[in-house]
Amino acid sequence: MNLLERYEEVIGHREMVRLRHLADRLAGRRVVHINSTRTGGGVAEILRWMVPLMNELGIVTRWEVISGSPDFYRVTKAFHNAVQGLPVTLKKADFELHYEVNRENALRMDLDADVVFIHDPQPIYLPAFLGANRVGRFVWRCHIDASRPQRDVWKHLEAAMAPYQAAVFSMAAFARPLACPKFIIPPSIDPLSDKNCPISEAERLETLGRLGIDPERRMLLQVSRFDRFKDPLGVIAAYRLLKPYYRDLQLVLAGGPADDDPEGAEVLREVHEQAGDDPDIKVLMLPPDAHRTINALQRSATVVLQKSLREGFGLTVTEALWKGRPVIGGACGGITLQVHDYHTGFLVHSPAGAAYRIAYLLRYGEKRLRMGRTGHEFVREHFLLSRHLRDYFTMLLCLEHPGNGALIV
Amino acid sequence: MSPMQPFVLFDCGLARCAVGRACSNLRELFEAIRTVPEAVLEHHMMRCALEDYFELNEFPNDLARWCWDGLGDHILGEQIGLIDPYQHPTIEALRATLLNTLEDRLWGMERIPWCRPGMELHLVESRLVAYDTGERVPTPAALAEAIERMSIRSLFYHVHEARRRTGGQTDDFSAWLENVDASPTLVTRLRAIDFYFLNLTQLRQALLQVFQQHLPEPTAALPVNA
Repeated sequence: MNLLERYEEVIGHREMVRLRHLADRLAGRRVVHINSTRTGGGVAEILRWMVPLMNELGIVTRWEVISGSPDFYRVTKAFHNAVQGLPVTLKKADFELHYEVNRENALRMDLDADVVFIHDPQPIYLPAFLGANRVGRFVWRCHIDASRPQRDVWKHLEAAMAPYQAAVFSMAAFARPLACPKFIIPPSIDPLSDKNCPISEAERLETLGRLGIDPERRMLLQVSRFDRFKDPLGVIAAYRLLKPYYRDLQLVLAGGPADDDPEGAEVLREVHEQAGDDPDIKVLMLPPDAHRTINALQRSATVVLQKSLREGFGLTVTEALWKGRPVIGGACGGITLQVHDYHTGFLVHSPAGAAYRIAYLLRYGEKRLRMGRTGHEFVREHFLLSRHLRDYFTMLLCLEHPGNGALIV
Repeated sequence: MSPMQPFVLFDCGLARCAVGRACSNLRELFEAIRTVPEAVLEHHMMRCALEDYFELNEFPNDLARWCWDGLGDHILGEQIGLIDPYQHPTIEALRATLLNTLEDRLWGMERIPWCRPGMELHLVESRLVAYDTGERVPTPAALAEAIERMSIRSLFYHVHEARRRTGGQTDDFSAWLENVDASPTLVTRLRAIDFYFLNLTQLRQALLQVFQQHLPEPTAALPVNA
């Protein structure tokens, strides 16, 4: 069974036929994706399924990776944080290093493509040096929230944008003013990945047992890094408001440390302090590849929380909805696109609000199940990789046929 | 007599682009409606139907939803929710209606409603990309079956977008049925569906109900979950 057939089992035959029809309009085009790593991180996760699927759909697609010294990655990590608004200190030499590493990579790259997607800030200067290559058009795919970047870093990145014909952002709210069109393509989840694939009941129970979680009792879950924007203390506060009324309730906070956030360790210390010696609160530090563990936790939760105060797109919300769990989310970022009151969960603004909505979902089991089913179908329609590919193909057709009116292809 | 031409089934998608403008309060919304390109109004008042999933969503367009949910101005949400863009001959005429409604609401207000941070309305324009699916529908009965299983994007293209193409006159289904001499009552009833106030799932059910009343069983049977 090839990849398309495997995905067809999830998205349905008709949807796959539609996707093939759209891809047929781009058959034979040569596309190259360039990013900075083959392993780890959300971009590599996306490209791992996108590249083979585009090939199976008839679009000749390659994946190239730039390389650089540890110092280069230190600088680009700082860029990543600065684009998302965190204060960073960079020297002139850091900007020059970024520029120089892009030049070196461009010299060794042999690109002959109709479209080159440059992912995120790391390889953004490549087009400036790809003179001998035959590239039809460049598209910058920005996966992060660029709405409030640090000025000097943004100016450096903006100066690289002249050769680009388009930029792509995950949400309109994440976009920056640029001279080229700014397409909006939300991210998606891969239903066959370890994090989202169906798992056996035995594996689910084994995971809970290993983590010391009682499978017979109701569980609240938040999966996120331990940083202030994810408000883990607010989640504990909501749990404490409910615990006197729901004695069987358990709370699981699962995540990894925010290595690039100096406050991460401090937040984690505060979380442990707030949790105290309550045996029904589990604070789990999971390694970055604990995808199946997270899968099992999400499938075991009664209600999933993402009580963020500031959020990117919030793919953990998408993952929980796909597993049929209603989500109580902070009203920010991409959570507002996914959590719709009384349909897929509730948007909340405080620990009290979260507690109130959790109580509602605990009390009305049938409504909770119905919202879970709606959330699953909502993700199938809007946030699976089939929609993601459809959006890419639609954008590529628009770039090939510029204009304003409806495009019939 | 020429042989019956089959119905040509299309599907479609939207390429959406940020215009780099957001509204935080009612006055900003008024200014935006006054000055944004027509494609922005078309997206937020018409094409947003393609992004609407929920059967219980009270309002058929983004602007009404944002006034209700974002600004908490329920009166304005109700008023904009009732503005049917397909009853306007041009987008400029729609713009004039929206501006009149917003100005009327703003006129006597002492405090302008604001949204909470994170609930801003980020304006978007879109371009519709449509393509022939290769499917051909030979008869009215087969059309009813096709409507039952076609994507909601196809429904949007053949109903909403068709109304745009024909200046509000007709959808593609009833136009084709008219051409193949189907029952005039069927054609009239299909055109009478208030499609703008239905989401696409509800529209499918409304279309199938009309077919069911005008075509013999069992070809136009309602879907199990209707």
